[in-house]
Amino acid sequence: MASRPTVTILGADGAATGATHTIPSVFLSPIRPDIVQQVHTGMAKNKRQPYSVSEKAGHQTSAESWGTGRAVARIPRVSGGGTHRAGQAAFGNMCRGGRMFAPTKIWRKWHIKINQGQKRFATASALAASAVPPLLLARGHQISTVPEVPLVIDSAAFDGAAYAKTAAALGLLKAVGAGADVEKVKGSKKLRAGKGKMRGRRYRQRRGPLVVYDPEVDGKGLVSGFRNVPGVETCPVTALNLLQLAPGGHLGRFIVWTSSAFKSLDKIYGTTTTPSELKKDFLLPSNIVSQADLTRLINSSEIQSVLRAPKGGKITRRGTVQKKNPLKNKQVLLRLNPYASAFQKEKLGSEKFDNGKPKPLSQSFKDVLQEV
Amino acid sequence: MSFTNISSDVVWEVVRNNNAFLVKRSKHIGGGGGVQFSRDPYNPTNLHSRKYAGFVNDKAVGVLATEKGVQVVSKKSGSANKPAASKYSVNYTKSTRKTFKSIANQTAKSGYRPDLRAAAVARASAIRRSQRPVKPTPEAKLRGNAAKKAAEKA
Repeated sequence: MASRPTVTILGADGAATGATHTIPSVFLSPIRPDIVQQVHTGMAKNKRQPYSVSEKAGHQTSAESWGTGRAVARIPRVSGGGTHRAGQAAFGNMCRGGRMFAPTKIWRKWHIKINQGQKRFATASALAASAVPPLLLARGHQISTVPEVPLVIDSAAFDGAAYAKTAAALGLLKAVGAGADVEKVKGSKKLRAGKGKMRGRRYRQRRGPLVVYDPEVDGKGLVSGFRNVPGVETCPVTALNLLQLAPGGHLGRFIVWTSSAFKSLDKIYGTTTTPSELKKDFLLPSNIVSQADLTRLINSSEIQSVLRAPKGGKITRRGTVQKKNPLKNKQVLLRLNPYASAFQKEKLGSEKFDNGKPKPLSQSFKDVLQEV
Repeated sequence: MSFTNISSDVVWEVVRNNNAFLVKRSKHIGGGGGVQFSRDPYNPTNLHSRKYAGFVNDKAVGVLATEKGVQVVSKKSGSANKPAASKYSVNYTKSTRKTFKSIANQTAKSGYRPDLRAAAVARASAIRRSQRPVKPTPEAKLRGNAAKKAAEKA
């Protein structure tokens, strides 16, 4: 790799501190929405609570079939008399008061095991996507005022739990240009459609920025500051979670990094050749093509130097000329009829044919005509 | 794009099926015919396509309406990772002819995105046309018997 790009580290006021950091290798991982989506689908299932209908539901009756010969269906019927229930069909999923079809069981396979390699690949991919502004825009983040992506704030600003209060935390987000994204979340809060309202999921809203910090350097004070800002989530850099990095399986979460968290990414993920210090036997996934920009490849001097020069001149004569309509195309008309230009200039086409009154016929002509 | 693992083409493959700007209409219900539009401000035609998807491309041109006139926005190609600094906008309030000339110069003559010239000028033209004062509709002329009666009265 020729030269790794660098990222400016911003101060708490949103201005560059002057310090920079080379971009951690994890941001150059392959961007694979297919892997991220698959891993996300699995991971999203791992927080589910088992549910099922009662084992007894629909079976708390001593119904028996009447058999054939009674001119009714052979479905089991409630025995006895004296109530309306007697004689009604029971048990079947098509019956009123019957059990459901294939009653749900608590031993359904609720959780999905995902291979660790895939999970790590997906996380690396989601992190890489978080540094691509078009993907952030495609996710719907408002980043037009953000000075740089990835957005890194100097850890010095977080000294002494400076952002333990929500007002201060919100002020920080506004200072670094993330205010618009928080505003968008605020305006997005809507009542959920359906039964979820009564099941503890009353409102739905967008996701805002994710603040990633290093608990050892930045402390945990900022968690209490950011937790009441709508849509903002916090996450320690050692425990990044795909559900937060790619909500809904969509790449490009807007992440606000503290500088210490950003720097520790080198240590946590390693590179494609040096293994990670914290993850056992983990090398970052490599790109299959080292330069994804096809236009740049085509225009590179390496390619251009071995190409043969294009044949012919800048302008080539057309082999077969398209037929033009001389009635509509003036040049073609002139080629066929050079008189057309004079004809038009003199306005002969619109001149009225006027020779005055017809002359009276001569007497001799009339005499000859009426001779007989 | 500033990183080697990503390019406009890769981004387009990721976002072409779904993104925040995309507006899809049903093929069957409501008579939308399956059209796909884009709400991207950098899209001069509002069509969801690779060519006009401004947020995907390094260079893009958008035309927006202002109070009187148009604003042309484009992206500075050098600052792909600096969203706040990448926007370049010009307001045009002069005559339409001069506006179109400037837009054509800005998009094509300078070699920025020659393929977007027609779309940008067309959009600017449509915006300017919409900004003309609305002519009051002339009163309906009386015809037939009503006209005769009115003439008698006068």
